[in-house]
Amino acid sequence: MKREALTQKLLVLGVDGMDPKVTRKFLAEGIMPNLQKFIEKGSAREDLSHLGALPTITPACWTTLATGAYPGTHGITCFWRQSPKSLDAVVYNMDSRNCEAEQLWNVTTEAGLKTLVWHWPGSAWPPTSDNPNLNVVDGTQPGSVNMGVAQLDWEKVIAANEEITELIYAPKLERPAGTGCMISDLSAITEEEEEPATDMMELWYGEAAMTGSEIREYIMGPENMEMVIESIPHYDVVNSPLKNAEGWAAVPADAKEFTILTSDGIVRRPTLILKNSDGIYDRIAIYKNKKAEKPIVVLELGKMVSGIVDDINKEGVLKPACRSMKLLELSPDGTSVKLWISNALDIAQDKLWHPKELLKDVVENVGPVQPVSLVGGEDAYLVEKVYEPAWDSYCQWQAKALNHLIKKHEYQVVFSHLHNVDCAGHMFWHLAKNLERWSYTDPEVNQNFIRKFYIQTDKYLGEFLHLLDEGWTIMILADHGLLVGEEFPPQIGEYGGMNVQVMEELGYTVMKKDANGKTLKEVDWEKTTAVQTRSNYIYINLKGRDAHGIVDPADKYELERKIMSDLYSYRYKGQRVIGLAMRNKDAVVLGTNGPQCGDIFFTVDEGFSRLHGDGLSTVEGAFDTSVSPIFLAAGTGIKENFTTARTIRQVDIAPTIATLIGVRMPAHCEGGPIYQILTEEM
Amino acid sequence: MSLEQLNANSFEKIIYDNAESCLVIFSRKSCHVCKEVVPVLEELQLQYRDRVGFYYVDVEEDKNLSQRFSLKGVPQILFFKDGEYQAKLAGAVDEDKVIDKIAEVLES
Repeated sequence: MKREALTQKLLVLGVDGMDPKVTRKFLAEGIMPNLQKFIEKGSAREDLSHLGALPTITPACWTTLATGAYPGTHGITCFWRQSPKSLDAVVYNMDSRNCEAEQLWNVTTEAGLKTLVWHWPGSAWPPTSDNPNLNVVDGTQPGSVNMGVAQLDWEKVIAANEEITELIYAPKLERPAGTGCMISDLSAITEEEEEPATDMMELWYGEAAMTGSEIREYIMGPENMEMVIESIPHYDVVNSPLKNAEGWAAVPADAKEFTILTSDGIVRRPTLILKNSDGIYDRIAIYKNKKAEKPIVVLELGKMVSGIVDDINKEGVLKPACRSMKLLELSPDGTSVKLWISNALDIAQDKLWHPKELLKDVVENVGPVQPVSLVGGEDAYLVEKVYEPAWDSYCQWQAKALNHLIKKHEYQVVFSHLHNVDCAGHMFWHLAKNLERWSYTDPEVNQNFIRKFYIQTDKYLGEFLHLLDEGWTIMILADHGLLVGEEFPPQIGEYGGMNVQVMEELGYTVMKKDANGKTLKEVDWEKTTAVQTRSNYIYINLKGRDAHGIVDPADKYELERKIMSDLYSYRYKGQRVIGLAMRNKDAVVLGTNGPQCGDIFFTVDEGFSRLHGDGLSTVEGAFDTSVSPIFLAAGTGIKENFTTARTIRQVDIAPTIATLIGVRMPAHCEGGPIYQILTEEM
Repeated sequence: MSLEQLNANSFEKIIYDNAESCLVIFSRKSCHVCKEVVPVLEELQLQYRDRVGFYYVDVEEDKNLSQRFSLKGVPQILFFKDGEYQAKLAGAVDEDKVIDKIAEVLES
């Protein structure tokens, strides 16, 4: 049976981590006027939520949104996939070739509809079809377009004053809040470490990871937990002398100068500090060298400037790269200055653009791909001055890029993803409640940052409102929400690797010890009967299946029963931590069964959940937050100003899109259209 | 003729402000390999007089500079042209290697 399309053009605006509960709080405060307009023009549940898939993990849920299949069915069950060789290691999973269910965009393109898949972090890259109707941009990591492949230089804070006597460069410094950016003793902070420092981006999404290398991360203690790591900003620090300008080809009277280092410290950009007509120093001009006639950019105090293109020197090869910059502080007498420069993105890096011409089109008509910021965390100064404005600028660039592409290429279906809220959530949502570990931070300040990110999102969504008047149907949705944690959790259910603490306490995972009894970072496979890896999975160390298996398959069933019983009995601060635990076969009720879901699936109970990814999709946290994802739809084919009481499951969204656009259901779809919100009776 | 030693401030002036075509060897007094490479450069600099500058940085005296270039060991010879870093040679290198590198990056 062929169905009539209810709309000719459909845009999915995906906002990673957008939580309907806190959204409603902000709607009530009147700070999300654009979203309010979408709601009035469309349909949603009263609570704006839908029931997210499990695990509440980015690629798993975006893949469910794209296929209409549960994670157990499509096989993308966490950020990483269990390594086929080792129980304690994981491998890269944001590869569309791992997905075992058909993506809806394959269906739309096959039906002759021109489709754009923009930075969809779940089973979108490499392109899943060679149909020329399919255009794809990135999707290999959740952060921002090209983040994983185009980065040429890291974020920096440059401080200059008259007391600094020589130029100092300190790469990737950990700067907890309050340490500022003056380097008093370089050797004290750059002593050779026992282990080489690993960059999380490189480890997780780098070349080696993407080609299948094992990632072996043990969560041994709080210091290995993502919320602890991400709270502390890392950036390069440059300290420069500041003096009267000399040796320049042309320089105004009274100008002062200092030096910026880029390209991992090997490129120098001399910078003038300039006065305004009132004699106040209020701006800086960055030059390629002192002989250059024109500056690369002029920065005024407090204004973020984006789209700055300058050469980055990579092993002697110069590559034009795009940066954002902001002059954070400048004393009126010009004797002290502080500025931030973003990471640098190679403006010509087109390997994740299909077809490649799309990049050129965007660069020429909208501007080069903008970098975002990853410095913030517990440092409220940086979040306010740098992190939030940098993301705001990126959101505006993305909105312009999408609008440009939609208009020029006449797409009929667009799947898009934005990561601002989720990225911020990982950095500081947990600081919005005063947990003991971060007692020196201010929850109210961080609550206001959450507010700012939703205002930023509202502004982004507003850039697409005009499409409703042009016959488009728009869905606003998320993979999962983000909660503000009620407690600092025990180490179980952390998606970044193998969780040791609880499983060690319960006696299932045994780590080797040195002669002094100190725990080593090495599993004692001869004594380990089970491990907990990734977000929600426990694997029995099974003979005949696993490399170091010791558990007889005949004993597996009883061991699973014992583990589940112990998990339920486990207490942390006197409270039960585990919500549900079930065998793989039983987890079909949650859609988390099958070969990619371990032997036992478990959830962390409400109250001990982290931001997202460890509990049910319905858990709630402090500051009116929840892990539920948002869903609403508006425009052609959707009832106006309509509320439904129906439970909307994540698997129902792909079939709803298929119904609206008039194509067949994706092959492995397990959901059904949300009949209630459609204008046509079905 | 021994190589002219640079410190953090003279480095800025010569490499960047004057934008000389030059090479800089980062070395350490106690390094055996450096003791073999430095004389090679001392010999060579005569051939390149007025065309290529030859300089020396002691990484113990100027830790900031080696830190800045993320140098993990010595000796390392860094090549600069027009105020831009061009390339480097690490470890034990002979005269021919240095001559080839100069031709490749500084005289091309």
